[in-house]
Amino acid sequence: MIPHAPILVIVLPLFTAFVMPLIGIIAERYHIKYLRELIAIGVMIVVLILAGTIAQEVWNGEVIVYELGGWSPPWGIVLAIDALSTQMALMIAGLGTLVMIYSASYMSRDSGLSYFYTLMLLVISGMMGIVLTGDFFNFYVFLEIMSISSYALVSFRRDALSIEAGIKYLIIGSLGTSFVLLSVVMLYGVVGTLNIADLGAKLATYGGTNVPSVLVLSLALFVTGVMIKVAMVPFHTWLPDAFTAAPTAISALLAGPAAVVGIYWVARLPYLPFGMPVGLILVSLGLISMVVGVLMALMQRDFKRMLAYHVISQKGYMVLGIGLGTLGATLGTQGGLFHLLNHSTYKALLFMCAGAVLYQTKSQKFDELGGLGKNMPITALTFLIGALAISGIPPLNGFVSKYIIYLAGFQAGMPWITAIAVVVSGLTLASFMKAFSSVFLGQRPQHLQGTREAPKPMLFSMIVMALICVAIGLLPALGFNIIGPAAEAAKNTSSYISHVLGGT
Amino acid sequence: MFDFIWQPIIVTVAILLCSLATYLLLLSSHRTTKAQPTPEKMKNYACGEEIKPEEAHADSAQFFSAVRRVLSPFYRHIQAAHTGEVNTYLLWIVAGLVVILIIILLTVW
Repeated sequence: MIPHAPILVIVLPLFTAFVMPLIGIIAERYHIKYLRELIAIGVMIVVLILAGTIAQEVWNGEVIVYELGGWSPPWGIVLAIDALSTQMALMIAGLGTLVMIYSASYMSRDSGLSYFYTLMLLVISGMMGIVLTGDFFNFYVFLEIMSISSYALVSFRRDALSIEAGIKYLIIGSLGTSFVLLSVVMLYGVVGTLNIADLGAKLATYGGTNVPSVLVLSLALFVTGVMIKVAMVPFHTWLPDAFTAAPTAISALLAGPAAVVGIYWVARLPYLPFGMPVGLILVSLGLISMVVGVLMALMQRDFKRMLAYHVISQKGYMVLGIGLGTLGATLGTQGGLFHLLNHSTYKALLFMCAGAVLYQTKSQKFDELGGLGKNMPITALTFLIGALAISGIPPLNGFVSKYIIYLAGFQAGMPWITAIAVVVSGLTLASFMKAFSSVFLGQRPQHLQGTREAPKPMLFSMIVMALICVAIGLLPALGFNIIGPAAEAAKNTSSYISHVLGGT
Repeated sequence: MFDFIWQPIIVTVAILLCSLATYLLLLSSHRTTKAQPTPEKMKNYACGEEIKPEEAHADSAQFFSAVRRVLSPFYRHIQAAHTGEVNTYLLWIVAGLVVILIIILLTVW
């Protein structure tokens, strides 16, 4: 591992974000085109390399403990990195890099790009902090950095729709982060520590039952706060508006890398720091979100809004899988985490395809589009790959993770859950048949006759994402090599606690 | 570990072979008849008006309208509930928090 890599993956995007306005002034003063974009992409590539070096060490079962300011845990703030954190960090860095490359073209017609890249890098920094920190209050701080930057990005174009969506996201999101803060305060009041490992060790003395009522309230607030961020039904209401109104590069960022953050805490939740039974809540919310999300998506007439409802539905699969993992289905957690990896890839791809269509046609309404398959063949092909992947059609990556979740339903002794999950997959396919038919097949409207294929940097990101979907589908071992250790790490609380508190 | 669950290469080859066999079957049973449309048959009509093919577009709301009809009670309630008003949505969140709290209480105590 490169020395100080754990802190560098957080502070590098953070500091670059703050110098981005200065870089913007230099770029304009000396007419250096794409300087901001190149620096942002360069930083993301460095972050990806750093995350890769961390992964090499962690996949052997190690937990890296990085003490900030030389204060040892539980007194000081530490970064505690296990295989689960590493999976998330790699996904954020990898998908974030592709979204940044896509943005270089997609946002080229906009003004105020210095602020755009500042906010993008702040979101990345916040996400990295959330998945790497070993301190509960520090987690809240990074959550706010990520959330506030996201609110601003949703409203970036400052038209009526995006401002309304941004305010809605701000109010509902702030309620979620307030719940998390209240939960942290209550935990600190009762247990007297903020170190996640130390909290886990002390809360384990309750054995998951007969816990003080304050801790129950703290857990309920934390679960609700996380579920607002994950957008499970009925906490989902900010998401369709935000994803529809935001610039599509931001929708891809929120659907791909940002989804990682919420699911990371869903995967941690049953084991650390609370260690209390939440499996029933996760399974219930997952099932409701899967069904409501897909039925709402089926009736949408707006391309991005349909994709937004599918985000809710697909996150339902992940939460369901992780929930089944806590109810005795060992495949559940692996399925949930694998589905996160796959979903982040194909959902970011699908939003990028929608963005490519919007970029070239200025429309995201199904009724105003059609017949674009001939004009935009690469976009159509990559969209088709993403659509089949999200629908769980073999041999693409979505099938593998959904199949594991189906098996987890049987393993938990609840085959009816598998039946519902299969039906939801069928409805997902139906929904994407409608989207593909409405946008890429059929008659092409007169005003779209001269539509051209999307610019190359956008196509590059889309092709890479599509190739990942095919590669993981054909060679699932590529994904299992990351998911296996991550799922083990999520459950192995004793190793996490002993590494952090033992200082090894 | 997951080899017994899923053999992607074998299944992919099987899918491709089945697709090829289906395509060959389709080709072998294909009968070509030369179309002899009259100019009148080539015209598009909408409510008695003649329109150009590129102006004709299927209404996306009509896609899966049967599903909407079958699930009309669900859609009636769920779409009406999505008012767009933040006050309502905050109420849902508080209600959700209460339900989660009750479930945790029942599970833990």
